[in-house]
Amino acid sequence: MATYDYVEKAIKITRREFLGVVGVGAAILWTGAYAATDLVQDRTKYIKLRAAGLYRDDAKAAARQSHNNAAVGEMYKKFAGKPLSPLAEELFHTRYVDRSKLGGMRS
Amino acid sequence: MQGLRPQELAEIIAIDRKKCKGCDACKAFCPTDAVTGKYGAVHRVDGERCLFCGQCLVNCPFGAPQDTVDIVDKVIARLKDGRTTVVAAIAPAVRVAVGEEFGLEPGALVTGQLLGALQTAGFKILDTNFAADLCIMEEGSELITKIRHYALGEAAGHAPGPLPQFTSCCPAWVRYAELYCPQLLPHMSSAKSPLMMAGALAKTYGATEVWRTNPENVFVVGVMPCTAKKFEASRPEFASAAAYWHKRGSAGSYPDVDVVLTTRDLARLLKKLNINLTAAAEFSDADNPLARYSGAGTIFGNTGGVMEAALRTAHFVITGQELAALELNPVRGLKGVKAAGVTLRDAKTGREITVKVAVVHGIKENLGPIVDEVVAGRSPYHFIEVMNCPGGCVNGGGQPINPMGTSWLDKYKAILPWS
Repeated sequence: MATYDYVEKAIKITRREFLGVVGVGAAILWTGAYAATDLVQDRTKYIKLRAAGLYRDDAKAAARQSHNNAAVGEMYKKFAGKPLSPLAEELFHTRYVDRSKLGGMRS
Repeated sequence: MQGLRPQELAEIIAIDRKKCKGCDACKAFCPTDAVTGKYGAVHRVDGERCLFCGQCLVNCPFGAPQDTVDIVDKVIARLKDGRTTVVAAIAPAVRVAVGEEFGLEPGALVTGQLLGALQTAGFKILDTNFAADLCIMEEGSELITKIRHYALGEAAGHAPGPLPQFTSCCPAWVRYAELYCPQLLPHMSSAKSPLMMAGALAKTYGATEVWRTNPENVFVVGVMPCTAKKFEASRPEFASAAAYWHKRGSAGSYPDVDVVLTTRDLARLLKKLNINLTAAAEFSDADNPLARYSGAGTIFGNTGGVMEAALRTAHFVITGQELAALELNPVRGLKGVKAAGVTLRDAKTGREITVKVAVVHGIKENLGPIVDEVVAGRSPYHFIEVMNCPGGCVNGGGQPINPMGTSWLDKYKAILPWS
């Protein structure tokens, strides 16, 4: 009768240790991948490009200060008088509401 | 509902439970912890705490938060009914973002085509940039009165509000202050936001001087990069035009701004009407005074823009001279809190004063210390600009969505999303 003398290699690492090592490795890969995509993709790109667009619009404007907008001056002359006039207060100013007094806010 | 008045919109942002993966990304951007739900479970938005800023919406990787106020068809019906003068009030930040919905690069400046496309659709134009210039005249005059009174010792008719003065253009910031720091309300500029000024102006001056029509037939549509503007338009006090006409003998009750479309809504509207923005004829309404704006009006959409615009005018009013260098670099850029000082010599008294200003964007990350200083009475500033969204209105909750999210200003946040 043939004898089988094969012995399985003893496992030197416990299940817990294995999971720990894999976990740490995965975390390193994960952070590395995030950092790498950060280099490739500038996450603030959209804000920067849109902001630059508005600054371009400013730079090419004929008048660059609000008080030099002739159409606003004309509106005051024909209609509202001057800034903070009673009519301007009525149409262009407002009040605020203390919403914490509107009823039991959960805080 | 608490925290809201009866007429106000109670729910604007809602999370689609089929799309939510419970990943908590929205919580990393919510300025008021209004998103509830455990990690892994479906989240929901608490409308009482919510500012309606839409930051969760533009940053969710799964597109779960939805803007539930859809009035595109209502606006199209008004455009087609033949009786209504439909006025579009277009915010600065829309003209550098709406192109993205039609395949253009982010930041492409499409003012001409945008206004042209709106005219093709049947809109009349009142550029919110014009109203931004108007806002600077009002808010700036208010600030100058306070500076003259408190810092230069000039007698005022009645004591003006306290310094520092806060900007009041951002509806999410106004709601934040009303909900969470009501002690700051006396510091808020009493000036309305540019859109609300635009609405009041369209139904008074615009109706009589420009479009020559009955104010009741004017339907004002705000075109905004912002979901919180939908809430602002529903606030009951913004019916000044109706009150104005009431005093002059005509009845009728209507809000100053009837509805608000976000940049995304506008793109949908144009597509429904088969109007291609990139092929639209350039704007041809040059004789309309309400479509003219200055460079100061257009930078309102950037963080620091309101401040820069205000200082350009304050410098002129106090010193009698224009600023030599118009670009105020200390208030530009994406740093969380930007501070600057501008020394002005008062033309009237010859006295010198350094006007100290601060600019905050991203309420969640950066507002706390500034507010604490003001509450404790040791704030060094005269004027503080606050915008809720990181980067300002260009990154508002109504802007075109990029699936990567657009508000990751701090890099560590991208690596440790839960921090």
